[in-house]
Amino acid sequence: MSTLCVDEQLQELMAAMQGDDGTELAHADRLIAQYPEDPRLHFLRGSILASIGRPLEAMPALSRAVELAPDFAIARFQLGFFQLTSGEATDALGTWGPLALLPVDHYLRKFVAGLTHLIRDEFGEAAIQLREGIAANQENLPLNRDMQLIVEQIDAIMAGGPAGGRGDSASATSFLLDQLSNRGSVH
Amino acid sequence: MTRQLPRGLDLVVQPERVEASLWRRLRNCAEAACREALFNRYVALARSVAGRHFNRRPPPRPELTDYQQFAYTGLLQAIDRFDPLRGVPFPSFAKPRIVGSISDGIAQMSEIDAQCSQRRQIENERIRSLRSREEEGPGEAIFRLSRLAAGLAIGLILEGSPPVLEGQLVDPSPSAYDSLQFRQLQMRLAEAVSGLPEKEAIVIRQHYLNGLGFGQVAELLGLSRGRISQLHHSALRRMRKKIGTIG
Repeated sequence: MSTLCVDEQLQELMAAMQGDDGTELAHADRLIAQYPEDPRLHFLRGSILASIGRPLEAMPALSRAVELAPDFAIARFQLGFFQLTSGEATDALGTWGPLALLPVDHYLRKFVAGLTHLIRDEFGEAAIQLREGIAANQENLPLNRDMQLIVEQIDAIMAGGPAGGRGDSASATSFLLDQLSNRGSVH
Repeated sequence: MTRQLPRGLDLVVQPERVEASLWRRLRNCAEAACREALFNRYVALARSVAGRHFNRRPPPRPELTDYQQFAYTGLLQAIDRFDPLRGVPFPSFAKPRIVGSISDGIAQMSEIDAQCSQRRQIENERIRSLRSREEEGPGEAIFRLSRLAAGLAIGLILEGSPPVLEGQLVDPSPSAYDSLQFRQLQMRLAEAVSGLPEKEAIVIRQHYLNGLGFGQVAELLGLSRGRISQLHHSALRRMRKKIGTIG
């Protein structure tokens, strides 16, 4: 039996995630029971749990995805981003470490650089790196929206105004299934 | 005037995820700092429940501090028993336990207990913590007494209540200059607290700022009451040295 589910099954799960009948988690659980070693399923399950406000369970699901596929770059980035939004900045930096092996102009590497500056309160440098990442990213547009929201908050701070939205805005689209880079393929 | 920028991390953290992280680290890694962070997060809830129960009971009644102490005990028990995976919000889980702890505690207070309230017990154990070790310390009695007084005064300032001498007849309200000096001293003390070793800082914060008795701080940190007393004494000694060397 294959370790990975077939593309059709993955598409069905993604369609369930786009629906609003609340069956997506059960759907993911069923597939994981069949393909427990498929990192994409754990990533999607983590995304579902995060989106329905169950962060305690989302974290191990995302961690499992990265554990199964250490080179699954988008899962690694999202696990780190989840840790960052949980206030675990040191863990996030540790998770993102291997992304330094990506090409220097890769959008994930730019985003990591920008968020790392943000952790250090280096707002100007953070905005520059995040903008460069947004310009370089053509495959995960929802991720661009998240990063753009952060840039806007930084701009507001630099301009002397209040940073609106805080983390809520950055979470809205964080885990949309569109972010599964290349429609389900593991990098 | 320099504008205070927010922390970068504040732009992205989400409170519900931060709380989930605290529960996960407390349950999986038994991190004492997480227990304290959760306690701090919900201490206002405990105080609010205590305040409501206090106001409901007509005098004569135990002091508000007694209600708060029992509420804190209930909160600590709730933190230890809460299963975050069950989907029940922590406040809903904790409230009945805080109420139960207050009801049980107040019911068990005999008249003698009421006379020797939790507040006095806290003050007594604070004095014992300082006195026993100062008596063993070097120097003449007058210097030992002076160190004891300095330790107690630091505690009073940390609590935000300036020491008032018994029988004082003059107007005790401070002048603007005195207020400024007092606030500056409070700021220096706050800096000194942040420079303490972690456990000593927790003892000071929880005892003086949240009003926990040594027994409850011991429960919070998983240490003995005697050890908390030692940490308390050591922390005040460090702070006394610190504020003696600055300013």
